[in-house]
Amino acid sequence: MDTLPNGNAAAASPPQTTAPTNASTTPFPKLTQLTEALKLEHQFLRVPFEHYKKTSRANHRAVEKEVSSVISGVADVADSDNFSKDDAVNHLTSLVSRLQGLKRKLEEGSRTEHLQAQKCRARLNHLESADAENLSEWNNMRLKRILVDYMLRMSYYDTAQKLAESSNMQLIYMCQDLVDIDVFQEAKKVIDALQNKEVAPALAWCADNKSRLKKSKSKFEFQLRLQEFIELVRSENNLRAITYARKYLAPWGATHMKELQRVMATLAFKSNTECTTYKVLFEPKQWDYLVDQFKQEFCRLYGMTLEPLLNIYLQAGLSALNTPYCYEDDCTKEDPLSQESFRKLASPLPYSKQHHSKLVCYITKELMDTENPPQVLPNGYVYSTKALEEMAKKNNGKITCPRTGLVCNYSDLVKAYIS
Amino acid sequence: MELNNIKDAFDRVAKKQKLSCSKTQEVIEKLIEEIGKALETIKTSSQLDDRYVLTELKKKLQELAPLSQLEGTQKELNIALSKYTKVLEKSFNPDISKAYRNVEFDSQTVNQIIANHFYRQGLFDVGDCFISETEGSESAAAMKSIFQDMYEILEAMRSWNLEPALKWAAANSDKLKENGSDLQLKLHSLQFVELLRSGSRDEALKYARAFLAPFASNRVTEIQKLMACLVWARKLDSCPYPQLLSPSNWVLVAEELTRQFCNLVGQSYESPLSVTIGAGVQALPPLVKFMTVMAGKRQEWQSMKQLPVPVELDKEYQFHSIFVCPVSKEQSTEENPPMMMSCGHVLCRQSINKMSKNNTRTFKCPYCPSDIDASHCTQLYF
Repeated sequence: MDTLPNGNAAAASPPQTTAPTNASTTPFPKLTQLTEALKLEHQFLRVPFEHYKKTSRANHRAVEKEVSSVISGVADVADSDNFSKDDAVNHLTSLVSRLQGLKRKLEEGSRTEHLQAQKCRARLNHLESADAENLSEWNNMRLKRILVDYMLRMSYYDTAQKLAESSNMQLIYMCQDLVDIDVFQEAKKVIDALQNKEVAPALAWCADNKSRLKKSKSKFEFQLRLQEFIELVRSENNLRAITYARKYLAPWGATHMKELQRVMATLAFKSNTECTTYKVLFEPKQWDYLVDQFKQEFCRLYGMTLEPLLNIYLQAGLSALNTPYCYEDDCTKEDPLSQESFRKLASPLPYSKQHHSKLVCYITKELMDTENPPQVLPNGYVYSTKALEEMAKKNNGKITCPRTGLVCNYSDLVKAYIS
Repeated sequence: MELNNIKDAFDRVAKKQKLSCSKTQEVIEKLIEEIGKALETIKTSSQLDDRYVLTELKKKLQELAPLSQLEGTQKELNIALSKYTKVLEKSFNPDISKAYRNVEFDSQTVNQIIANHFYRQGLFDVGDCFISETEGSESAAAMKSIFQDMYEILEAMRSWNLEPALKWAAANSDKLKENGSDLQLKLHSLQFVELLRSGSRDEALKYARAFLAPFASNRVTEIQKLMACLVWARKLDSCPYPQLLSPSNWVLVAEELTRQFCNLVGQSYESPLSVTIGAGVQALPPLVKFMTVMAGKRQEWQSMKQLPVPVELDKEYQFHSIFVCPVSKEQSTEENPPMMMSCGHVLCRQSINKMSKNNTRTFKCPYCPSDIDASHCTQLYF
């Protein structure tokens, strides 16, 4: 972006080189700022790409499976000793129709792939489209994207959909490309099932993503198995529970022996136990825990941040805005931290840090710099030249300090130099 | 931002994908063809040849080795795929949550902030949907009714109807005057111009007498210009005051109305959520950079009372005066306030005390040749 011959952005921003309050200046502050902001958008490009990759891999796997089963089907009939002509004809015909089915499926699959690739491209184009002229519109869209991300992660699907549709008409198709509603459809199925205390869809999801979950050393499947085991114990189906444990829990023994042992002990304690170590295992909140666990795995798999984007941006923003002055009574209501709800969120966060003075005029709320330098009244109170000039013009050269009531002449003021 | 190399990398992925796809199609076609041929032979030949045909088919398929045929293109695709992932990771910040402090946000508070945001942006449907999905609180309802009034006025203005806006301005004229806003006059001017535009000079004149005249005492020149427009009533195109007639005035007045409305109902002009997120976008890059460098110090980050790196925000995010002493680089506090020296330069009290050896001698200002006597410094209040 720095190389673009785009002078407009620099022209739009105030000439900062002369301002004493801003010592660090880059030739195109607005543009570097925009580039830095765009660099935060990793997830925005990564998620649709992971989706695309996943579809492509799944299609390929389906082909491999089907083709090799057709080949072995031919081998079967060729190697078998007794078959009639009709058998052979029927068998081969069914293989051909299987291949034709595969072909159709493949065409459909490549259509999906194509749509997903388009989505990846749409996002690249959207990032590229951000420039100084449409910045405020672009920023609004970003806030919307961040909010949709929040809705999806919190399972507020209706709001997510409505919000994505709420752009003005020409933008609808675009906004749908810029949010991950389709990706989360997959998560929704699993989460809904877990909330109904069903693990089957979650297990199917684990099987689908087996190799990647293994790579990240995920134990989510183990946790699902543990829960199923617990449910068997709850229903006093002890024999089945033991068979289940042999089949599904034992393979995890090498890596998760402690947890395995603890869960096995529930066979002795039963679901109505008062022993706290085992009582918690039977609590319904274990299912909520599984939902949270699933969301984490899901986000990891798609290259999303584990926290909602909204929380990350909110936290950074609140920390940067947080100053001790925000909590004074005369805090302007334009400052988000004048509001109780924002203060509550900011309370565990640090204060901002600044290396250069930033002076805001008490009267006009405008920044005081060389263009509009600060002037000092005899009592030490400081206001911007602009505000004081206007006041003097209206009152025959008299200045009244709005905070102390002191009256003086415009000629009594002294300029302060802030470096 | 330079995205061309990323786009190229993606184009490569798409190309390899297409290649692999057509290769797969081709292989399947071939399989269908071979099996079809064998099928024809079996159907037309005698029983004796069947085994031979099937064994031949089996051999043929083995020779075809469809799966290893696919392997090559698939491998190339995989390389392109993983390369794209790497390009993304290199060109972007792969994990912005690095700068996240592990504190649980109270989701009810966050939801309340979001609901308020939807209402104040005029997204009433979305807001209602959100409230019902989150079983949200009552407080958002108040926000909704406040902003419903405002958006009704603005909606009417969009269809060139000033009635509701004028009504609201009249009802709040005292408060508007107190804030030094001339919104009422602006609205009446718009209405006057509209009447002129529709061609009824008499009505415009009548309107001016009734509604513009009261402002005559302190806005003479503006009203004179407006009245002069009467002369051009049927040929407004050649009127010498085109800026008075420009439709963009409607947008400006609507903005002013929004500002005044928010002010009178005790709300900020910008949505506080938008402001905070905007500040977050500017604050994250330096924070993420810092956390990448200080990867080992995550523990400290969790307990810091002040951000470890300075974060420069644009001026629209400056709500308070921050004075940083240019000598000690510390922010001023009540105990260590900013002091102006006789030359007009400003330092913190502690720095002045240090340089004057606790007020025992004069010293040179660090910024100019003046000799400074610490007892002649004035405390400043920003």
